[in-house]
Amino acid sequence: MINRVAFLWPEIALFVTTCVVMVLGLSRTYAARKATALFAGVGILAAVLLAVSTTPRPDEYSPLAGQTLLPAMPLFAKCLIGVVGLLLLLMMAGTVDRDEEARIASGERTFDPLRSNRAEFYAFYLFSLTGLMLCASADNLIWLFLALELTSLPTYIMVAMSSNMGRAKEAAVKYFFLGALGAATFLYGFSLIYGAAGTTNFNQIASHIAVDGFSPLMLAGVMLSLLGLAFKIAAVPMHFYTPDVYEGAAPQVSAFLAFVPKAAGFIAIVLLCAVVGWRFAPSATTDVLETSRQVTGGTQLPEAVRVMLWVMAALTMTAGNILAILQSSVKRMLAYSSVAHSGYMLVGVVAGPGVSSQSFFSSNGIAAVFFYLLCYGVMNAGCFAVLAALERTPGRDGSPREIETVSDLRGLCRAYPALGWSMVICSLSLLGLPPLLGFFGKLPLFTAGIRAGEIPLVIVLGINSAIAAYYYLRLAFTPMLEEAQPDGEPIRLAPFPTRGIAALVSAGGVVVLAVGANTLMQQSNHAAEYRAPERLMRAPASLPPHTHEPGLETALKAQQ
Amino acid sequence: MQSIVGPLLAMADTPAAAAEYVAPGVGPAYALLVPVLPLIAFVLCAVCAAMRVKSKLPAWITVGLLACSFGVTLAATMAVRAGGPMISHGFEWINFSWGDGPGQAFVADFSLYLDSLTCLWMLFVTGLATLIALYASEYMSHDVGQGYNRFFAAFSLFVFSMACLVMADNLVLLYLGWEGVGLCSYLLIGYFYKKPSAVAAAKKAFIVNRIGDLFLALGIMLCFVHFGSVEYKTIFEQARPYMELLTQGRIAEIPAIAQIIPLLLMVGAFGKSAQLPLYVWLPDAMEGPTPVSALIHAATMVTAGVFLIARAYPLFLISESALPIVGWVGALTALLAATIGMAQFDIKRIMAYSTVSQLGYMFAGLAVLGSTAAAAHVFTHAFFKAMLFLSCGAVMHGFAGQLDLRKLSGVGSMPGWRIVSIAMLIGCLNLAGFPVITAGFWSKDMILGDAFANPSLQAIGWILLLTAGLTAYYTFRVYFRVFAGPQQYEMGDEHHGTHDDAHAHGDHHGGHGHEPGHGGGHDKHDDHHDHDDHHDTPHAPGWAINTVLAVLAVASFAILIPLKSGPDAGWVGSMVSGSSARTIGDAAYLHSAHGAGHAHATFFGFDAHKAMLVVSSIVGLVGIGVAYWLHRAGRTTAATARADALLPAAGPLARWAQNKWYVDELYDAIVRKPLLILSHLFHVIDRYLVDGLVDLLGWAPRGAGRTLRPSQSGQLHGYALGMAGGIVAFLVIVLLVIT
Repeated sequence: MINRVAFLWPEIALFVTTCVVMVLGLSRTYAARKATALFAGVGILAAVLLAVSTTPRPDEYSPLAGQTLLPAMPLFAKCLIGVVGLLLLLMMAGTVDRDEEARIASGERTFDPLRSNRAEFYAFYLFSLTGLMLCASADNLIWLFLALELTSLPTYIMVAMSSNMGRAKEAAVKYFFLGALGAATFLYGFSLIYGAAGTTNFNQIASHIAVDGFSPLMLAGVMLSLLGLAFKIAAVPMHFYTPDVYEGAAPQVSAFLAFVPKAAGFIAIVLLCAVVGWRFAPSATTDVLETSRQVTGGTQLPEAVRVMLWVMAALTMTAGNILAILQSSVKRMLAYSSVAHSGYMLVGVVAGPGVSSQSFFSSNGIAAVFFYLLCYGVMNAGCFAVLAALERTPGRDGSPREIETVSDLRGLCRAYPALGWSMVICSLSLLGLPPLLGFFGKLPLFTAGIRAGEIPLVIVLGINSAIAAYYYLRLAFTPMLEEAQPDGEPIRLAPFPTRGIAALVSAGGVVVLAVGANTLMQQSNHAAEYRAPERLMRAPASLPPHTHEPGLETALKAQQ
Repeated sequence: MQSIVGPLLAMADTPAAAAEYVAPGVGPAYALLVPVLPLIAFVLCAVCAAMRVKSKLPAWITVGLLACSFGVTLAATMAVRAGGPMISHGFEWINFSWGDGPGQAFVADFSLYLDSLTCLWMLFVTGLATLIALYASEYMSHDVGQGYNRFFAAFSLFVFSMACLVMADNLVLLYLGWEGVGLCSYLLIGYFYKKPSAVAAAKKAFIVNRIGDLFLALGIMLCFVHFGSVEYKTIFEQARPYMELLTQGRIAEIPAIAQIIPLLLMVGAFGKSAQLPLYVWLPDAMEGPTPVSALIHAATMVTAGVFLIARAYPLFLISESALPIVGWVGALTALLAATIGMAQFDIKRIMAYSTVSQLGYMFAGLAVLGSTAAAAHVFTHAFFKAMLFLSCGAVMHGFAGQLDLRKLSGVGSMPGWRIVSIAMLIGCLNLAGFPVITAGFWSKDMILGDAFANPSLQAIGWILLLTAGLTAYYTFRVYFRVFAGPQQYEMGDEHHGTHDDAHAHGDHHGGHGHEPGHGGGHDKHDDHHDHDDHHDTPHAPGWAINTVLAVLAVASFAILIPLKSGPDAGWVGSMVSGSSARTIGDAAYLHSAHGAGHAHATFFGFDAHKAMLVVSSIVGLVGIGVAYWLHRAGRTTAATARADALLPAAGPLARWAQNKWYVDELYDAIVRKPLLILSHLFHVIDRYLVDGLVDLLGWAPRGAGRTLRPSQSGQLHGYALGMAGGIVAFLVIVLLVIT
């Protein structure tokens, strides 16, 4: 256990930054408090650099040999988290204490250390990112649960803090209670898994399943865990909270909700699936694995788990898209679209890492999920950043109001060309229009699904992509083609240039990353590389190559 | 001679590379700068546009970076001459694999295939682009501002696309460049986007090209299906067994699918290079600014089709029918375009038809196994045709858009027009194939010689010979009408930029600007040239235009050096034979495979090549003589000449030729009208049948959404119930289904 700490430098750095940000936030000087955001950014950057420099490369991961199922995943995940985290941080400027600071700036009021919440907000943000990175490093169930909760708990408070409006508080309360329900579900699932396997360590659970088979208790545990995790990724049947919460929170916090808990959920789902299935993944081709294929009866996930994920994927994307069509509120529309995107990514999970002897990106569903997370993180951040960078004229209470409906965006390309075109590019990318990033993200989901033989699911995916065009094109064409209504409410820039910069960076990323998509695809393919559990890998070492270990085989048969 | 041109000619006399396939080596990384520098120029021009620069800055950026690109091309050429074909790897662009086997990976990198053919093409592309950008810096000066920025951005993007097209190491990158040049061509033809005819011409060019592009795309796909790759090196390697079958005369054993590929690629080439039946867009493309016509629609882009066939020559050789079709299409296009060119009055259009006609020559050259001759003709044509266009452009620029040869006369003897008229004369001599001293003569002569040497395709030779005479006639018709004879002119009724908002008259012309709408109907004689009246006087070209024309004039003679520095087209020949476009080994078996009987046919008992030197000289001189007699001798006004008297004798033929043989009308009747009727029909079907179905389909998800919507009540306990119920339902149903 202790030797794993050596691989947690990014998390440690983030945690230290969090503490410093909190302390800095208590400073008596205004300038020090203003520096918290900058400091948070430096911390995230340091975490990424540490991740790159200290995470062991898979070919030299000998200290942990046989202890990690997906040895190359943490590095990829941490870099991804860091990059998207920086993008989100840019959008967070001015989320809390905006009125207070406006009054200070106008000289109406002097700085009062007791009234500033800024540092708390950034600290919660960093806590959540720390939790997300810890998810990627998890190697047992308890760790995974704690990491997931560290990711989620700050988000409840961030939602509540994000806006002065009552609906933010309402959203936070709903999110908290339903989140607790979800957490209870997967915690119960974890405990059933522990009950079945007698251990919380992933490798040992995997080895246990390989030897003892898949008991009903284990099956129930895995299914409950996945259903609970469905809350994190906003998948059916745990998706109900999404539109209310996204609508209630400020757009920048919604962007955060659409990426951070979702990434945590998918990392956890991939880890769990790696524990219970896929032992026949590309790099694990020894004969012993051949025998374990016979134990669990196939090259796929256990049938019940596969069917459940299959149904979940199909329902999630369909429900998300169908409900998104009817929305006139931009944030609700993007919330449902976020549900739909989770459904798309579940297709990759169902497809699994492929069965060919060599790893090919086009047939590796897990690599497709990782790559899609990156694509979705960037393009979704772009859409929300545009919303965050704009505001409508102040209402009666004098505080500026957010962009509400799609028609608020009319004529945006003319009024603010940079923001308008960012919106157009990002929503077309979310739609999956070639040659933008979203297309390259979706393509491997299709190919992996086809290679895994999940043709009906791929057809559902295709139909849903078409339905999605209905509302994404509305989101793209309203700013581009429609003129601003003369009697409509004028929109103006929010006084936080970093939000606009985040939108531009995202839109630029959508275009530029599409050119370099191949490299990123290779990286995510690498990240999805699977290593067989320790016990199974060591078994054939004492034997001549290409022979079955008779002892183990008879033991396996006896078990059956 | 070699010491002058230096190392570029170092290998001129060495025999063609061995027929064996040479695997390409690793190329220098700096070669990537050839496409990258124009791309940087494009980005900088776009930045200029974003910053609303109102100066000639974008022009200087473009000229500077393109000149650097030319320099890099020179360096790359030397490297290729020293080291043979090589591939410069840029970055992994597309790499999609689904298995280990051959054909289970779709790989298209951003890599450059550097062989001598690439270098030959890039030398004149970047060289001419630099010169023409310099010319355009003055020519477009009336548009300084957003129009100027837009022009040079598109110009740089064109050079980038062209570099991708020519230097690609795979067909997908070539296709990217192919579409890129098409897009830039569209943008630049429609440069005066407020002028309806320019917009129509841009659309026409784009749509006609799309037809060709469709077939090119199909060809590329079929290439991948059959050869399992889109990379040249793999395709050529895979095609080698077929080549062996060909040498053994077992052409029938080559699979039909491999023989279909060149037929598809060919149609793409016909579209881009304006050959029958897709040539109709090129004459209309003259609506663009003249530098564009010179660079894109005369010198470089339109030769992309020739390049494609030359690049994929091994594929064309293994097809029984591809090259003969190319030959007949080329020859007929050459003849048709020449006959139309004879009857036109707009000097830029005449040059456009001559381009179509000369491109036909190049295709015919490729088809009669004269790939060296065809490439040499591309090379020489690029220089003299660019020069002809730029000279016409100078006239157009100076005479307020006047292009009618009946309204201009004696320009050559007007003050300040000396360099233009000399350049025009040299260009005309080249195009007409004036014997011995012009490069155009030698390259055209090689094609004719190769055609007559090919026994089965001698008919093509006769057509080309007839065309050569017509070419000499209509070329010098322009020269004798516009540049020679008594001085007389009528200003055009427009100024080539009147349609752009950014237009600022006079300011950039040193006091020689013309107001739009003036000048029409004036008929002034030079002897009372009124310099005070700035509205109606021509203004002679400035230093940039004159410099470029002078350089091109010298260059069109200088290219005789690489062309004649050795036997068999000298340096140019060795460039071609060192590439994929070589006719492998002894061409004899190819003749026997593609033609019939003996290898070398004779021209009335003489060696075809030697006989052609004399025959084509005579034909060219006769053409020039006829033009002199009909259009120069005894002509006293601009509007009429002796030729008018002959018109009745020609009967309806002259009228038909003047109306371009009614090809546009024919296409209108057999393609556009039926399509229009069909589209109306489909519109009705779409409106009532499809829309109804779509509405139904659209209604279904919305209806489903409406039913689902109440579940989103906003009530916390409702949501919790939904989630809990969902979990139970999932568990129960899945477990029931499974067990």
